Amino acid sequence: MINPTILVARREITERVRDRSFIISTMVGVVLLAAFALVPRLLGFGEPEEWVLGVVGEDSAAMAGAVEAAAPNFGIVVTAEPLEAARVESALTDGDVDAVIVDGDQIVVDQELDPTLQTAMQAASAQLEVTGALNEAGLNPDEVTEVLTPDPLDVRALDPQPGAAEGAGAIAFFAVFLLYGQIFGYGFAVASGVVEEKSTRVVEVILSTVSARQLLAGKVMGIGVVAMFQLLLTVSAALAAVLLTGFVELPEAAWPAIWSVLGWFLLGFTFYAALFAAAGSLVSRQEELQNVTTPLTMVVLVGFFLAFAALNDPSSTLARVASFIPPVAPMVMPARITLGEVAPWEVVASAAVCLASIAVLIPLAARLYRGAILRTGTRVRLFEAWRAAGTGEG
Amino acid sequence: MLELRDITKSYGEIVAAAGVSFRLHPGEMLGFVGSNGAGKTTCMRIVLGLLEPDRGEVEWNGRPVDSNTRRRFGYMPEERGLYPKMRVANQVAYFGRLHGLGKEEASAAAGRLLERLGVEERADDRVEALSLGNQQRVQLATAMVHDPDAMILDEPFSGLDPVGVDVLTEVLRDRVEAGVPVVFSSHQLELVERICDSVVILHNGRVVAEGPVHEVRAERSDRTLRVEVDGALPGWEASIPGVQVVSRSNGSVLLRLGDGVDDQSVLAVARGAGRVTYFSSARPSLVDLFRSVVGSDRGTE
Repeated sequence: MINPTILVARREITERVRDRSFIISTMVGVVLLAAFALVPRLLGFGEPEEWVLGVVGEDSAAMAGAVEAAAPNFGIVVTAEPLEAARVESALTDGDVDAVIVDGDQIVVDQELDPTLQTAMQAASAQLEVTGALNEAGLNPDEVTEVLTPDPLDVRALDPQPGAAEGAGAIAFFAVFLLYGQIFGYGFAVASGVVEEKSTRVVEVILSTVSARQLLAGKVMGIGVVAMFQLLLTVSAALAAVLLTGFVELPEAAWPAIWSVLGWFLLGFTFYAALFAAAGSLVSRQEELQNVTTPLTMVVLVGFFLAFAALNDPSSTLARVASFIPPVAPMVMPARITLGEVAPWEVVASAAVCLASIAVLIPLAARLYRGAILRTGTRVRLFEAWRAAGTGEG
Repeated sequence: MLELRDITKSYGEIVAAAGVSFRLHPGEMLGFVGSNGAGKTTCMRIVLGLLEPDRGEVEWNGRPVDSNTRRRFGYMPEERGLYPKMRVANQVAYFGRLHGLGKEEASAAAGRLLERLGVEERADDRVEALSLGNQQRVQLATAMVHDPDAMILDEPFSGLDPVGVDVLTEVLRDRVEAGVPVVFSSHQLELVERICDSVVILHNGRVVAEGPVHEVRAERSDRTLRVEVDGALPGWEASIPGVQVVSRSNGSVLLRLGDGVDDQSVLAVARGAGRVTYFSSARPSLVDLFRSVVGSDRGTE
């Protein structure tokens, strides 16, 4: 005969995945995340500024080439376009070009010259002068190039920090947000599922065939699978959107961090699901659920805020300490991992602390659940539930 | 055979069951009656393992009941319980699976039962969309989808219309004839008298009468008199010590005699009160019996 825990879990999965609210919330999550990832780029944020440079007169060609070459060093892109002398004014006022080089030594603009563009042009001009001087001094072009591109400076850090990959900040931000949403949302779903069974009294029928422990385990497993499925779907869709459109480049280093989020979700969800189930079993009506879950909600929220603090300063003492406190670690640790500010031993130790706390917590939560789940009516007090479960096989 | 032995359970000061013992035989339909708070639900919950008794045991075919035996029972709790958002057929099949049926087996059994109970056209509706009467039929279906070895039903008839009562009676009779023991609690004593083979009357957590319905009624018949006296003043019988009025109708009075009360002394008083037109020992109905048992106890408390 099939294990009742599996049956209970399977019911949770099929009933929830079929539910319209699940489908809608998943789609909203996917769309929002993809939008957050893509919209800034679509609107041009974060792209290098682009300038069009009008080129008048043959003497300007060398200068224009030098500016184009120098522009990336200043974080801008410059495109040079030949321009007839007669069109200089109209091209500038129409905005076809941002600046014009006339005869290699004069710059014309409409109102003012962008400071970055000016610096880039100044540098290009200086380089041209130096190149010319070196040529005159008898150096061949290769030697000139060598002189002008010195070896990078040797940097020695006294306290080297693992560098954060580019884009890691944004990924860490989404990771924290998703983890908070899934852990809180599905933790609460466990509590409200428990109350649903209690308020409809269906729990009495079920517990005449399966034990309270099996019912609890099946419920948490089923809801966990649904939450994990949704998380995978959301993350995959967002990644697919990012990769297919090519708007954002994902650094190699981001991949392990992204997958580790799933692991941290499992730890965080299991920790809170056990507590939320115990809280839910204390009350008989959905309206009372808010009261018993408020303390838990506060703790999840504290974890969320600490994770944000860790995003700001991943190697602060606060972030380091929070990484080892089980209720908040599953949100703080992934933020630090994604930002690359964490040693491997810290990850292992933090996961171990979380697992150990879960191992301690589950029997306690299960005992409260067992003691309270069949007591309908007024809210069951914790010690009553504890004592009631002392007897009985459950 | 299901046997309860000395089941005792109290909640703090309140004693819900004080040494309840009775047996439920194969192919027997047993009515479990008693006033509110008599301990019926407590006993049933103990049989299903939802409550631990303070003392006493429940045995099935001579062995203590465990979770494997219980999985073969069918149970309908007093407070009906179904998942409101789950669809009817899925729900019944789900309970079938919890009771150990295979996948196809469970949905086939669910389909058959829903048809038998007359709710097959609602199979794909959510439970919450059904009327209360139909929800109750679905509840019964969940209790018997696995073809249980024994059925324990808490107030299965409450809230049913007469057609529903007939359907349920027929379905239960069917199971009983197939050899399945059925015990159900009820306040509808006429119904219990009509359809049950035997009865257990519970009062204040104690079994006060038990056995086949006709025997229980006959047992009390020598202690019960129906007397009609022409021209007697109302309350003529009040002066006889140890005699209690069970019911009164159209000048006829049903009396229950206490221990050691001689029926001839009652006759003497009756003759003194007027012209005795009827004097006979009576077989009390279950209602009368229940009233006399419960009423007498109330008098001494």
